[in-house]
Amino acid sequence: MARIAGVNIPTQKRVVVALQYIHGIGPYFAKEICGKVGITEDRRVNQLTDSEVLQIREAIDRDYTVEGDLRRDTAQNIKRLMDLGCYRGLRHRRGLPVRGQRTHTNARTRKGPAKPIAGKKK
Amino acid sequence: MSRAVWKGPFVDGYLLDKADKAQSGATRGAIKTWSRRSTIMPQFVGLTFQVHNGKQFIPVSVSEDMVGHKLGEFAPTRNYYGHGADKKAKRR
Repeated sequence: MARIAGVNIPTQKRVVVALQYIHGIGPYFAKEICGKVGITEDRRVNQLTDSEVLQIREAIDRDYTVEGDLRRDTAQNIKRLMDLGCYRGLRHRRGLPVRGQRTHTNARTRKGPAKPIAGKKK
Repeated sequence: MSRAVWKGPFVDGYLLDKADKAQSGATRGAIKTWSRRSTIMPQFVGLTFQVHNGKQFIPVSVSEDMVGHKLGEFAPTRNYYGHGADKKAKRR
């Protein structure tokens, strides 16, 4: 059982893979961390010594924004745009695509499930 | 793709002159402009611009956060009032 960066308890997987369960750490950062701490690709989380776990934890605390902090940063950036009254902010407010994509069709990721329109039949 | 840094931010030259004048208090009132493509510079902070949206001039008072955005971002060119059947009219 390894607890790194708050809540994440990935175990039995390779360290490089397990670290990616942390929000804000992907393949690139996971590899970077392993390199810094000196853990080889094929080591698994349950084979780590306590001091190695500690080292990983410290490395993440020191050099990366992760989990809650990262989510807060992102939310703040979006909120800044919304408060500013700029075009991108307006798009965020209305839940529409922000980067100029078409909305005539598609854009379902932002708009959510299609709402039926009364009287529209083929 | 974002703009190359070595070019510096793009601003229509005349806007800089006008902003300087307005900041020194020589002229009163908002600066009317069609130059939606101009980046908002630090020396614009505190001024009010009238930015054209294709039909009218939209008043934009520049705050510190706006630096680095373009003037046009603050004057929407399209107004969507919702469909006739929709009960809730939207967009400001």
